[in-house]
Amino acid sequence: MTMSIRLCKQKISFQVTKIAAIYTTCLLLALIAVFMFSLISGSYQLSLVDSFFSLIQQQQWITDSQATLIIWEFRLPRSLVAIFSGALFALSGTLLQSLTRNPLADPSLVGISQGAALAVVTLTILFPDYIDDWREISAFIGAIAVAGIIQLLRGKGNSLKFILLGVGVAAFISALISTLLTYGKLQSAMSALSWLAGSTNTSNWHDVNALGSACIVLMLLAISQARTMIVISLGDEVAVGLGVNLRKTMLLQLATSVAAAAIATAIVGPLGFIGLLAPHLARKITHNGPANHLLLSTLVGAILVLSADIIGRTLFAPTQLAAGLVTSLVGAPLFAYLLIKKQF
Amino acid sequence: MKNFVPIALKLTNLDTNNKTPKRMTINKKISHSTLTAKNLVVGYTTPVVKGIDLEIQPGKMNILIGSNGCGKSTLLKCLARVLIPISGEVLLNDQNIHSQPAKQVAKIMALLPQGPIAPEGLSVKELVAQGRYPHQSFLKQWSIEDEAAVMQAMQQANITELADSAIAELSGGQRQRCWIAMVLAQQTDIILLDEPTTYLDLKVQVDLLELLTEMAHQHQRTLVIVLHELNIAAAYADHLIMMKEGKIYAQGTAQDVFNAENIASVFGLNAKVITDLESNTLICIPIKKRGHKESL
Amino acid sequence: MKRQQWLGATGISLMCLLLIVALVIHLSIGTKVISISDILHSFYTYNEDNFDHLIIQELRLPRAMIAICVGACLAVAGALMQGVTRNPLSDPSLLGMMTGGALAVVYWSTFVTNASLIWLPVVAAVGALISASIVWNIAARTHGGITPLSLILSGAAFTAFSGALLAIHHLLDEQTFEEMRTWLVGSLLASNIETLYWCIPWIVVGLIGAIVLAPSVTALSMGEEIATGLGINIRRRKWQLLMCIVILTSAAIALAGPLGFIGLVIPHVVRFIVGADYRWIIPYSILLGAVYLLSIDSLARWLIQPQEIATGLITILMGAPLFIWLVKVKVR
Repeated sequence: MTMSIRLCKQKISFQVTKIAAIYTTCLLLALIAVFMFSLISGSYQLSLVDSFFSLIQQQQWITDSQATLIIWEFRLPRSLVAIFSGALFALSGTLLQSLTRNPLADPSLVGISQGAALAVVTLTILFPDYIDDWREISAFIGAIAVAGIIQLLRGKGNSLKFILLGVGVAAFISALISTLLTYGKLQSAMSALSWLAGSTNTSNWHDVNALGSACIVLMLLAISQARTMIVISLGDEVAVGLGVNLRKTMLLQLATSVAAAAIATAIVGPLGFIGLLAPHLARKITHNGPANHLLLSTLVGAILVLSADIIGRTLFAPTQLAAGLVTSLVGAPLFAYLLIKKQF
Repeated sequence: MKNFVPIALKLTNLDTNNKTPKRMTINKKISHSTLTAKNLVVGYTTPVVKGIDLEIQPGKMNILIGSNGCGKSTLLKCLARVLIPISGEVLLNDQNIHSQPAKQVAKIMALLPQGPIAPEGLSVKELVAQGRYPHQSFLKQWSIEDEAAVMQAMQQANITELADSAIAELSGGQRQRCWIAMVLAQQTDIILLDEPTTYLDLKVQVDLLELLTEMAHQHQRTLVIVLHELNIAAAYADHLIMMKEGKIYAQGTAQDVFNAENIASVFGLNAKVITDLESNTLICIPIKKRGHKESL
Repeated sequence: MKRQQWLGATGISLMCLLLIVALVIHLSIGTKVISISDILHSFYTYNEDNFDHLIIQELRLPRAMIAICVGACLAVAGALMQGVTRNPLSDPSLLGMMTGGALAVVYWSTFVTNASLIWLPVVAAVGALISASIVWNIAARTHGGITPLSLILSGAAFTAFSGALLAIHHLLDEQTFEEMRTWLVGSLLASNIETLYWCIPWIVVGLIGAIVLAPSVTALSMGEEIATGLGINIRRRKWQLLMCIVILTSAAIALAGPLGFIGLVIPHVVRFIVGADYRWIIPYSILLGAVYLLSIDSLARWLIQPQEIATGLITILMGAPLFIWLVKVKVR
């Protein structure tokens, strides 16, 4: 069942469960499949062959001259953005759920996404000149501010309070955003509105780079915390007994979670429910240890958002449905299902 | 990979190999760590532990008893670093425990809190493996020592057959043994346990305490246990500590301290203490109220 | 004893006075401030050619009337809901009824040609009822049953879902959406006196029902065993109360769109003044709800003249902090 791997005279050692390895590989393959599908589909149909060769840039085999342009200008960045943002939202949700010990935590439910959204919308409408450079940073600040406020308000309360406070703060911030949208300059309001729907529509390579690097850094950070996460799930006292520095660890996990949600929200807008659902779906696949769980969650998140994007593009073509709408449509009933099944 | 497979295979053979030689090579500790409390005041909103000086006896079974609310659990939690003292200090090896890095302390001292809850889906072996956390790092996640320690701990706690079962399916006694195994796998000098026998059958309680005594006497570990049951405490304690209202009322061997006056004082209980001649164990027998006809 | 007397004639008269003051303010505030004497003139000696009189009678008065009705309906609906669910955080908007009613209205206006105004409140009612039962059912099936958290979370899920449906509808049918956009945020701007005429019977039924059933709500809010002990048929009563809540909420939605948080906040303020007896809570909620919405609406029209902030936004901006404060204080 498990396999121990030891290298460099015992300096490096870890355990791998066969099942987890199999599932990870399967999900990875699924992701690649959906990715290829994403490249093909859309209002302009491309063949699989054309897409593949555009990808590896072998021009001579391509039959459709438009293929390279479409792939490299539109579909590739868009798909990559979908994958990375899905992974980041899933990462954020997994960390948040482990940290609050509540299976219903989700960055958009507790106002973190909204905080990032508010910052970006404020910037878009009030200071449109600065939007390009400051978007990610302002989102991060907004998200942290909201997380901080909720933490302050909650005091010593339990996770129920945290969630309820989050709902209230989220509603308040949504109203603020609506106000800004309705009474700001029309042009800026329109661009802010489309971003708010949660969309991969206007993705470019800058976005891909930002998201990609964030993804790698934050995932490494999260994976380094993975073992500590299991220990924490055994209870605060046991964790202290086993040598976990609770405050530092919880803070680190919260910061990673908020950062992941903030950056993803900055680029793609608030995508609801991914952070909530991906960890649960991943756990349904396998019960095993958190490092695997994290990896699986991020893969699931990536697949979810990519699929939502494909559906949004193709369902009512040529009208484009923002991925955020699709995730809400599918996510909300799934969330209701989770509410019924799980204890919280 | 070629070189690693044989090593991996070799290690899995530990499953069937369970005789003493392995134990002795792995458990090489002889040195004792010391744990003391100085002027300790601990509490939540008001002080529960009101100024205690305590020296835990190394290599012995130190058992804390007292009535509800006297502060014994609070004291234990403070010793374990879960609670920060309002004033005073806890010294581990003569150094303030809070100034030492958490993982360092965890290699010397382990804690089993009251009523621990295991998350769903965890198997027995996975739970016990958590005990190795302080000895691991990001790169070094499952060394040979880790594996050996886990195997040994499961043997000692008698749960080797249950290794792959889910914790949720076990009985109360079996579950408690799993937690004990986790703490044993941590391989620390000092082990703190907060009411480890609650809700367990008498036989299971006795088995547990026998195991803990073996840890203390044969493996030189220091044990600090909070117990509820007086007689069990008296039977197994090397150093009995009676607490009343946040202070230490009396401490010493059971022979010295476990008598009717102290019991009456600390517990408000009218009782007789008699000695079982065969085993030299002290037993406390509550005196029934008048009005019952006593038959000779 | 003192409080009882106080609450009776004196209290209600005070509230009515407050209402009149709010009404006057509402009528006089606006792009053009109209003096009180002019307002009075427009009632007693109405002159069609006088522009001010026109403004008062044709624009502001209808709007004020609607504000009063909507405020009263929502406040009472919220009070009833909090009593029946024994949940201080209940509110028609948090439990999905608003978005559900709005969705029903939007779909109906799109797909039914020659949509007659008579049916608007009914459609909203049907939408609200369906949403309420979905949210209730989901919450009931959770492990803990109906608790504040489960209700709010299932409400949040439903609101997200219907919100997405609304947004999709917007994308596919821009025209209807344009017409309904301000309404969807909750605003009295597009309010129509005709709709009010059609809604009045419903509102009256709902309010009278609430007043009549008030004593049972007090009993229910103390717990079902107590209520049964007092001889109340729980199922039937709850059903009747749910009907009242839905009628009142749908009338409000039909008139002004989904206005959040009024139903949450007003009952608490009223309870603070009046205590836990629903025989007083209901009438006071009617009056205070009306006063509140009138004031908010005046604020909405006055803040960024000559433009107008949608009232729905302000109610949330005022209501959400209060909600947060409530959670902080009341939830352990």
